[in-house]
Amino acid sequence: MTGRALVRGGLLLAVLAAVVVLPLWVNRTQPYYLQLSINVLIFATLALSWDILARTGQLSLAHAAFYGLGAYTSVLLTTRAGLPIVAGMAAGAVVAVVAAVLLGVLTLRLRGIYFAIATLAFSETLRVITNQVRFTGAATGLVAPPLLGGHRPSQYLVILTILLALTLVSWWVNRSRWHFAFTAIRANEEVAAVMGVDVVRFKVLAFAISALFAGITGAFYAHVFLFISPLEAYSLAVSVGALVAPIFGGLYTTAGPLVGAVVLRAGEEVLRSTVQRGYPIIYGFLLAAVILYMPGGLAGVWASLLARIPRPARRGARGEPAGS
Amino acid sequence: MSLLVLDTLTKSFGGLSAVDDLSLAVRAGEIFALIGPNGAGKSTTFNLISGLLAPDRGRIFFDGADITRTPPHSRAHLGVGRTFQLMQPFHDMTVRENVMVGELFGHTVLKSLPAARRDAEEICELVGLGHLLDRGVTALGLADLKRLEIARALATHPRLLLLDEVMAGLTPTEARQAVASIQGIRARGVTILLIDHVMSSVRDLAERVAVLNFGRKIAEGTFETVAHDPAVIEAYLGQDEADGSR
Amino acid sequence: MLIFGVLRSGLYSLTSVGLALSVGVIGIVNFAHGEFLMLGAFLGYWLFVSYGVDPLAAIPIGAAAIFLLGGAVYQLSIRRVLRAPELNQMLLTFGLSIFLQNLAIILWTGDPRVATVSYKAEALAVGPFTLGVPQLVVFGLAMALTIGLYAVLGGTRVGKAMRAVAQNRLGASLLGIDVDRIYLLAFGLSTALAGIAGMMITLQLSVSPFIGLLYTLKAFAIMVIAGLGNINGVIYASLVLGLSEAFVEFYVPQGGGWAEGVFFFLILVVLLVRPRGLFR
Repeated sequence: MTGRALVRGGLLLAVLAAVVVLPLWVNRTQPYYLQLSINVLIFATLALSWDILARTGQLSLAHAAFYGLGAYTSVLLTTRAGLPIVAGMAAGAVVAVVAAVLLGVLTLRLRGIYFAIATLAFSETLRVITNQVRFTGAATGLVAPPLLGGHRPSQYLVILTILLALTLVSWWVNRSRWHFAFTAIRANEEVAAVMGVDVVRFKVLAFAISALFAGITGAFYAHVFLFISPLEAYSLAVSVGALVAPIFGGLYTTAGPLVGAVVLRAGEEVLRSTVQRGYPIIYGFLLAAVILYMPGGLAGVWASLLARIPRPARRGARGEPAGS
Repeated sequence: MSLLVLDTLTKSFGGLSAVDDLSLAVRAGEIFALIGPNGAGKSTTFNLISGLLAPDRGRIFFDGADITRTPPHSRAHLGVGRTFQLMQPFHDMTVRENVMVGELFGHTVLKSLPAARRDAEEICELVGLGHLLDRGVTALGLADLKRLEIARALATHPRLLLLDEVMAGLTPTEARQAVASIQGIRARGVTILLIDHVMSSVRDLAERVAVLNFGRKIAEGTFETVAHDPAVIEAYLGQDEADGSR
Repeated sequence: MLIFGVLRSGLYSLTSVGLALSVGVIGIVNFAHGEFLMLGAFLGYWLFVSYGVDPLAAIPIGAAAIFLLGGAVYQLSIRRVLRAPELNQMLLTFGLSIFLQNLAIILWTGDPRVATVSYKAEALAVGPFTLGVPQLVVFGLAMALTIGLYAVLGGTRVGKAMRAVAQNRLGASLLGIDVDRIYLLAFGLSTALAGIAGMMITLQLSVSPFIGLLYTLKAFAIMVIAGLGNINGVIYASLVLGLSEAFVEFYVPQGGGWAEGVFFFLILVVLLVRPRGLFR
C-alpha cells in the first residue's frame, strides 16, 4: 500500500470516528441527535442486510418480515417468559433466520417479479396473522421492556456494534470467493450451477445472513422504542426503505447502502418537519429518478466522476468505469 | 472405456417428446458429435447431461457412476463441463473474473483466490483472451465470447466437455482456428461431445457421430457412414422440403 | 355467501384485466396500477361532492381523464425502461406507486371519504336473497366492461394489433404495426380500466389513498392465479378470489380481518405449487 493510500485511509477512519462519536458528545445539550443517529443506524443496518441478499439476485420485499419476527419474538419471550433481553434478541435473530431459510427454500425456483410478489405475500401474511391473533397482541400491539435501562448512549453503542459487525461481514463477502458465487448466481443461475457453484446453498445462506441482521435489528428496535405493533413492525415501508437506500447509494457494494441510508434518512428528517404525512413520497420519487437517470446509484455517479479525472493512476475498480 | 453412457433417456415437455429413448456411449478421449435437424432434441440432451433438466425415464452414467440424480454443480466437480449456445457471460464481471468462477468452484478441492486468478489467466492465454483479461464482457465480439465460453468451461478442468454449437456464426478462418483449438483440448486428455450444424467442422473433428431426429437416434457411426445413411438424408431433406414449401 | 363472492369478483375482474393487459401486451408489471384506481376513485368522489354527478354517470369522464394521465406517465417514464432489465421496470413502477400514493396523502390527507349516493342503501329482492343495488349495478357494469374488453381485443383492429404485439413484438412490427403506439394505447387503456374500477368503488366503499396498494396486490393475486399475461383467465381467477374471500368472511370467526389476507395466502400457494397459473 502506498503512503498516499495509507494517509487517505487514515483520514477516512478519523472522519468516521468523529462522526460516530459526535452524537454522544453532543448528547448532553442536544439529545435529539443521538435519537436520530440511532434511527439512522437502524436504517443503515436494514439497508445493508437487504443488499447482501440482493447480491444473489434475490430482490426481496420481505425484509420487514424478518424485522418484525425479530421484534415480536424478543418481546414475547422477554415479557411472557421472563427471558433477559439479550436472550430475547438472540432468539429473535434465530427465528428470523429459520423463517428466511424456509422462505428461501420455498422460493428457489421463482425469479424476478414472481419472487418479489411471493416475498411480499409472505411478509404481508405475517402482518395479517400477527394483527388478528391475540397471542401476539393483535392490532393493539405489545409493550417491550427497555434495553439497558433506556440509556440512550449505551443503546447507540449497541446498534453501532451491530452495524459494524454487518459491515465487516459485507466487506468480507465482497472480497472473498463468495463475491464470485453471488455475482455469478445473480447473472445466471444455470450457468453458475454448471460451473460448479452450489446455487441453492449460496442463495439460502444469503437469505439467512440478511435475515439474521434484520431480525436482531428488529429486536433492538422493539426494546428501544418500547412498543411494537403489526402496522409498524411488518410495515411495507420498512421493506421499501431497505431497498431504496441500496439502489440509491449503489447496489452490491458495502458503502453504497450505508451512504444511501444515511443520506435518505437525514433527508427524511428534513422532509418530515416540512411535510407531515406522505413524506415517503421522496422515496418514490428517488426510486423512479434513480432508475430513469442514475442506474448505478450514487456509487455509479461517484465512479463515473472518478473516471473523468484525467490521471492515468485513476482507474475504476476493474479498469473500466462502472456503468459504461 | 466409456466415459459417458446415456441409457434410454427420455424427456417430454407437455406431451411433446424432446428426447425419446436415447442411448449412446462416448469413449474416453474421443470426439463425438451429435447432429440432427432443428428441434431434434440435441440441446435438451445437453441439458440432461449437465443436470439442468431431469429425465422422465432413463439413466446417465459418468465414468461408471450413476449421475442421474446428481445436481449440476456436483456434476461439474465430477468433471462434466459445458458451453452454452446462447452465450451468457456473467455480465457484471470482467473476462478474468468470469473464468475465475470456474476455477474457484469447479473443483472438489478449494482453490485460493490468488491461485484461481493465476490459473484463470493461464486459461485465457490458452484460448487467446490474454489481452482482454480486464475487459468487461459486454464489449466482446462474437468470436471472443465463444472463446470465453470455452475458457469458462475449461476452468472447471472437465474430463468431458460438452460444446454447444461453437461453430455457429464464425467465419471460415475462425472456424478453422476453433477446430484446431478443440483438437488441442482433446490432446490434453479431455473427451469431447459436441453439437453443431456446420458439417465441414463436424467432419474435420468427429471420430464418431450420432444423428437425432424428433428426439430419437436414427443413425450412429463415422461421419462418412452417417452421411450416406438414407434415413439421415431423408431427415435432413424432409426438413429442407418442409422449409422450401413454406 | 356465494352471491357476495360472485358480485365482488366482478369488480376484481375489471381491476385485474387492466393489469393483465399491461403485462400481456407491453410486458411490464405495473406496481402502480392500483394508484390509478385510487385516483379514479378520488376523481369520482370529487365530481360527486362538487357537482352532484353520480359516479357511475361520470365514468366516461373519469375514464378519459385517467387514460390521458396513464398515457402521460407512459411517455415520460415507462417507455424508457422497456428495454431495461425486468428489475428496473419493477422498481420504476414501484417507485411510481409510492410517489402517487403519498402525493394523494399530501394533497388530500389520509382520511377515508365516503360518497353517499341516494340509492346506496337500497336493496333488491332476488329470489330468497336480498342484494344491494349498488353492488348489483357495479357487478353488471364491471362484467359488461370486462367482456367488452374481450370483444375489443377480439374484434377491432386495434385490439387485434394488441394481441399480435402481445404474442410477438418483432413479428408485429414487421407487419407494419406501430408497436410504440400500441404500447401507449394499451397502457392508457389499462390505467383507464383501473380508473373506472375506482369510480365504481366510490359508489360502494370509502375512498382513501391507501386503497391503491390493496387493489394492486389483489390484481396481482388474480393474475398469478390466472397465469401472468393470461387475459382470458382473469374472470375465472377473480371468481376464485371473490369466492374464497366470501367463504372466509362468513365461515371463519372474526372472518373480516382474515379475509384481508386471503389473497396473500393464495399468491403464496399458487406460486409455490403451480407458478404458471391455474388457468393456462
